Amino acid sequence: RYTFSDTGVGKSSIVCRFVQDHFDHNISPTIGASFMTKTVPCGNELHKFLIWDTAGQERFHSLAPMYYRGSAAAVIVYDITKQDSFHTLKKWVKELKEHGPENIVMAIAGNKCDLSDIREVPLKDAKEYAESIGAIVVETSAKNAINIEELFQGISRRIPPLDPHENGNNGAIKLGKASTPSSRRCC
Amino acid sequence: MCSPEEAALLRLEEVFSATLARINSLILQPLLSTAPEPLEPRGRECLRLLQQLHRSSQQLWEVTEGSLHSLRERLRHPDSTGLESLLLLRDADHVLQIYMEYVESYTSCVVVQAFQKVAKKRSEYWWGQRKVLRQLLWGVSSEGSVGAALAQALRQPLTHHLQQYVLLLLKLADAIGEHHPARELVVHAATHFGDLQSFTRQALDQAVATQALWHTLSSRLRDVLCTPAHRLLQDSQDIPVTVTPLRAERVLLFDDALVLLQGHNVQTFDLKLVWVNPGQDGYVFRILTPEEEFFICAKDSQGQVVWQWKVTQAVCQALRGKKDFPVLGAGLETSEPPACRCVVYTFRAEGRLCQATYEGEWCWGRPHGKGTLKWPDGQNHVGDFCQGLEHGFGIRLVPQASEDKFDCYKCHWQEGSMCGYGICEHGMDEVYKGYFQAGLRHGFGVLESAPQASQPFRYTGHWERGQRSGYGIEEDGDRGERYIGMWQANQRHGPGVVVTQAGVCYQGTFQADKMVGSGILLSEDDSLYEGTFTRDLTLIGKGKVTFPNGFTLEGSFGSGAGRGLNMQGVLDTAALPLDPNSTCKRQLGLGVFPVESRWQGAYSPFRDFVHAGCPGDLQEALLGFHVQSSRELRKSQEYLRCERTHPEDNAGSVEDILEELLQHRKPKALQQYLRKALSNSLHPLGKLLQTLMLTFQATYAGVGANKHLQGLAQEEVKQHAQEIWAFYRGLLRVALQRKGQALEEDEDAESRDLQVYGLVLPLMLDSFYSELFTLYLLLHEREDSLYSQGITNLSLFPDTKLLEFLDVQKHLWPLKDLTLTTSQRYSLIRDKCFLSATECLQKIITTVDPREKLEVLERTYEEIETTVSRVLGREHKLPMDDLLPLLIYVVSRARIQHLGAEIHLIRDMMDPVHTGGLYDFLLTALESCYEHIQKEDMRLHCLPGHWDSRELW
Repeated sequence: RYTFSDTGVGKSSIVCRFVQDHFDHNISPTIGASFMTKTVPCGNELHKFLIWDTAGQERFHSLAPMYYRGSAAAVIVYDITKQDSFHTLKKWVKELKEHGPENIVMAIAGNKCDLSDIREVPLKDAKEYAESIGAIVVETSAKNAINIEELFQGISRRIPPLDPHENGNNGAIKLGKASTPSSRRCC
Repeated sequence: MCSPEEAALLRLEEVFSATLARINSLILQPLLSTAPEPLEPRGRECLRLLQQLHRSSQQLWEVTEGSLHSLRERLRHPDSTGLESLLLLRDADHVLQIYMEYVESYTSCVVVQAFQKVAKKRSEYWWGQRKVLRQLLWGVSSEGSVGAALAQALRQPLTHHLQQYVLLLLKLADAIGEHHPARELVVHAATHFGDLQSFTRQALDQAVATQALWHTLSSRLRDVLCTPAHRLLQDSQDIPVTVTPLRAERVLLFDDALVLLQGHNVQTFDLKLVWVNPGQDGYVFRILTPEEEFFICAKDSQGQVVWQWKVTQAVCQALRGKKDFPVLGAGLETSEPPACRCVVYTFRAEGRLCQATYEGEWCWGRPHGKGTLKWPDGQNHVGDFCQGLEHGFGIRLVPQASEDKFDCYKCHWQEGSMCGYGICEHGMDEVYKGYFQAGLRHGFGVLESAPQASQPFRYTGHWERGQRSGYGIEEDGDRGERYIGMWQANQRHGPGVVVTQAGVCYQGTFQADKMVGSGILLSEDDSLYEGTFTRDLTLIGKGKVTFPNGFTLEGSFGSGAGRGLNMQGVLDTAALPLDPNSTCKRQLGLGVFPVESRWQGAYSPFRDFVHAGCPGDLQEALLGFHVQSSRELRKSQEYLRCERTHPEDNAGSVEDILEELLQHRKPKALQQYLRKALSNSLHPLGKLLQTLMLTFQATYAGVGANKHLQGLAQEEVKQHAQEIWAFYRGLLRVALQRKGQALEEDEDAESRDLQVYGLVLPLMLDSFYSELFTLYLLLHEREDSLYSQGITNLSLFPDTKLLEFLDVQKHLWPLKDLTLTTSQRYSLIRDKCFLSATECLQKIITTVDPREKLEVLERTYEEIETTVSRVLGREHKLPMDDLLPLLIYVVSRARIQHLGAEIHLIRDMMDPVHTGGLYDFLLTALESCYEHIQKEDMRLHCLPGHWDSRELW
């Protein structure tokens, strides 16, 4: 389920889960739950995620372009228990396609998959839609830490290396100086 | 007790005194009264010499009387008056001096044959006086001319007297014994008078030889050479020598000049400007003079040794300015003349120095060192010379055609032409401050008209061989116009941008000073003209006009004679939303003038300085200097030289600067050091900054304060920061090299950016800030005014209403922070909530450093979070859904003016390493608040009450 006005969608929870479940949260500068960083290994490279939160409210919708300007990936979250949020998600995808950076990697996260008994959005719908727009789709549960890691790993794999000469295949990249595709999160 | 020698001395002095008295009355007085006709120059000279001799004789008599008196005193009271009281002993040097003066006067008379001339005039008289004369001369036959007799009468008593002196003094020394207290004085006096005898003998010999010389010369040569001061030291007729490559049948060495004779031709070389250099082979030595260089060849080695020795000693004597005592070559200093001397000389040979007079230091025949060169046409040059050419700092005054107007060049010179930095005032009309090469303006330079000029102008930019060429800014004060762009051969040529006082600007390609072909023009109302322009800036042919309301007019333009613009085409009134980047926010010049090469000429002397290893003597020539420019000062060049602020004064020598550099390498110390260096206009780093500020103001101040130039300006500032850092690194490398160390590995782009943006940019931004910020203000004027309307409206809301209006969730409202008086209600309180965050954010305008501004922003966020955590009673991490409304609240309460300009300036000047990072996020958040406040619903609903009825989410 995906909406900007519903704070219950759990976008912040996904990020918190992602950042905190792993080894380096102590070095991450954060601005509350709005800006977080995390470095994850991906193949021989280290990917540093710079995760920007955006306000979900409808009235701030028009400010979103500032936030996704220059970002490498966008994670759009909806609530599988709310059909509305999936509709809003589609609007967002459209907007991103039109005004967002070229080659932005899009990931759709259907959150609250632990509540699949009250599901309104079938996984099949989400998958079909994701395929049609070339996005990653994962159903997650921030609460139970399901598929969070997979979500970001999926993004990592999709992001082309910034500078093959610099990052290449040598594994000796310093933490914090890793290639930095900034995955900003729009949700 | 007195010795018999003293009594003998007394008698001697009595006789000598009497003799002098008689000589005076019998010879000198009559000589003076019968002196030749004083109207004729030779006669005048003769009279002068005789008067001189008379004076010397008078002094001699006086000193003899003095001596006599002291002897009498001594003999009268031998016990109370010691031996040392004798004038002869007590003041031997003075007595000696008087004798030498007499000898000098006497020999001068001999040289010009004064006695003979005078005697000839009144031969009958002297014939009658023969008897008297004979009384004065003893032991000599009275044969010979009257002149010779006179000469002898004036010489013989003196030489005889000296002889007696020496004899008696030596006897006296023996008589008083070794341990007498005055013995040393006696020996001293005896030696001195002995020396005086030698001196006198040599002087007389020289005088006689000189006198004899005249008879061997033609009358013409005699007229030229015969002066009383000349003393012949060596004659090539005695020891034959030849001269090459000059031609000379006879060589004469006088005590003040070396003379070559060839027929009637006389070449005289002042000995003060003669340098002697041993020859390579044969019996040869080389003579160097300012304008000639030749070899003197002797027949054998002895001849060569004698000549070379005599010339060398004569040069030494001439430089000392007085006769060697007792004989030639016995001067006090070393017998080698100094290579460097200080002499005045007027050049004679044709060429650039013809008739010019040089006064100053010489070395091996050439002006070398400090000196003044004056041409007869009024041109003159004060400064440093090297090998005969202007080299180093020098001030040249060149008179202009009209009187009392001068071109004044205060420049660095290299091998005779201007090279390096200089300040040149052309009369009262123009001043050029910049670099030269081979005497022409070359590199970076500013040419400016006098402020009161009728057509004021200023060109700031690049020059090539005296002409404007490359990137340059020209300000035309008369038309209120500024050209920014490329030049060639003094004309606008290539890509260029023009901005006018009225705010119109256009960009295109220039040829021969005019814009040709396609270009764009932006009028002050943001209308955009694209197409082909005529020379008077009207569209012609295919073109497009975009009006500020979005209408476009596209088609074919033409200009009817006197009927303005006419066109055929389509007016599109669909008014699609305009892309601000192509109209009102369009940036001119970007990409056309690559920022790396834009001010090459301003950077390159500094780079050259580093590449040359920071030589102290080139510091000024490369890095420039300051001269107080005042009309009064210019009158005195000497004074100006002192006024030039010397690089050593404040910043210290290059060595000191480099040493200091090495001691400040730790981040904190480095920052302090750079701050100090950049603010010191005499420090190399400070000088670079000053030059860059000059170019920046020339481009973007005044007429250049045009929003379409903001892009150019901001990339330029960043480039300058990089160049300053590179210059610092260069200095550091040299400093380390001098210590035998190498600079650690080349820094990578990232760590360089860190230093450039983190260290240098904040320190130097202040110098560019006012022009730069003005450009941002103008560019974001419209948004800033919408924003400020929004702020004004929001300021009417009480705190709780505003929080509600912004959809801040109720549980985050910091109401418990507020203590209310009984008469207050929450709903009326204003400017109380999140006060700490608001006050923190307001500090953003107290610094120009972008990083400090970002830190303020970060602290503002922390204040918000702290407040919220306190309200909730637990730590709370704000997601964006909550943070953004709170941030909008704080921004609206902080009421920062021109926030748009601030935000964009911070973003442009931010270290690119922060892109995507925390600071970028915070700045984006701030920008989104700024954008949001501009929105219609924030601006137009003035009444808080209006919102009460609105459904809340």
